[in-house]
Amino acid sequence: MDVYLPCFYSFIACMAVCLVFNVRGKLIFFTSLGGAIGWFVYLLCRPLQNDIVQFFIATVVITIYSEVMARIHKVPVTGYLLIALLPMVPGGGIYYTMEYCIAGNTQMFLETGLHTLGIAGALALGILLVSSLNRLFGMPRRNKNNR
Amino acid sequence: MNYDDLISAATDVGYLLLRNGAEIYRVEDSMQRIFRAYGVETGEVFAIPTCIFVTITTPEGKSITKIKRLYTRGTDLDKVDQANDLCRRICRTCPDVSSIHAEVEKINRRPVYDFWTQVAAFAMVAFSFTLFYGGTLPDAFCSLFCGAGVKLVNHFMGRFQANAFFTNIVASCVAATIAMLAVQMGFGANLDKIIIGALMNLVPGIVITSFMRDIMGGDLIAGLIRFVESLLVATAIAIGAGIALMVPRLIWGV
Repeated sequence: MDVYLPCFYSFIACMAVCLVFNVRGKLIFFTSLGGAIGWFVYLLCRPLQNDIVQFFIATVVITIYSEVMARIHKVPVTGYLLIALLPMVPGGGIYYTMEYCIAGNTQMFLETGLHTLGIAGALALGILLVSSLNRLFGMPRRNKNNR
Repeated sequence: MNYDDLISAATDVGYLLLRNGAEIYRVEDSMQRIFRAYGVETGEVFAIPTCIFVTITTPEGKSITKIKRLYTRGTDLDKVDQANDLCRRICRTCPDVSSIHAEVEKINRRPVYDFWTQVAAFAMVAFSFTLFYGGTLPDAFCSLFCGAGVKLVNHFMGRFQANAFFTNIVASCVAATIAMLAVQMGFGANLDKIIIGALMNLVPGIVITSFMRDIMGGDLIAGLIRFVESLLVATAIAIGAGIALMVPRLIWGV
């Protein structure tokens, strides 16, 4: 059970972030739940042994969750997505990259830096995939300009 | 129909959205919808994170243009939410254009969490992310103070209107310094976990997400601006924490 404890921490972290970004009412709960679900999925995918793929799948799940929740509560999807994705952001990666840089460990600096970029890319790709699919099947947006 | 008023009202709504962290396509789309609700089919809107350009052509064939610069931006999701609602309401009911300004003002005056709640929120973010990244409970308590420090620095630098880059350097430097003191005095064990937790308050997670969504919506320039912004923030964080870690190493060889 201890393995899944970070999901709870990520829930609390997201709640605090909600206060920072002035989210109000019941949205606080649902947004934070998104953060917890995301990390749960990340942990579920551990057998894959590849954290970039894990991050990608978790991002896809969070984005789908956010799009659905935004439809249900009739609010812009941005809020959900911004906050629920925060635990995925490679804050640790940025820090360790910097630390290796100071220590003069070029080999590890490059390796960690590239890995951090990879994670950021996985997040971006996950959002990209779901948002694009959503747009394909959802409302066509800029058609009015092409009439 | 007074088209000058219409364009002002639409720009007010767009400004409100963009200022509080909405995506570019939402800003452009909302403004276009407002124009169409009032029967102007020729509205052209171009928004980037720092500016809104808008032009409409009146039925008499006269063009009206407005440019609105944004100097400060923040993230206030409650206001984005309300502005979005306002926009839908305008499109549905087409109220008198002059009343829109008052509505926008009303949203602007909506409450934000007070200062000390926000300090507590920053501290909680640091606390829970330290645990999240595998720190121990004592580490997390040290991190509380680092997180609060970040918010206080942000607040006081904001008063002097320091630029975001410098603010981030100082904030992350302060967070790292507090963390090092705490570890030196034996309150915490894992320096890296404490600092990472505190710095999660600053990481450009928001910007990474919105830059991808902007690019996806075809707003390439806006996306690039946000991408550069996220790189700058990440660099500033690294520089700040780097200074704090390096100086003691140079002086005392810790």
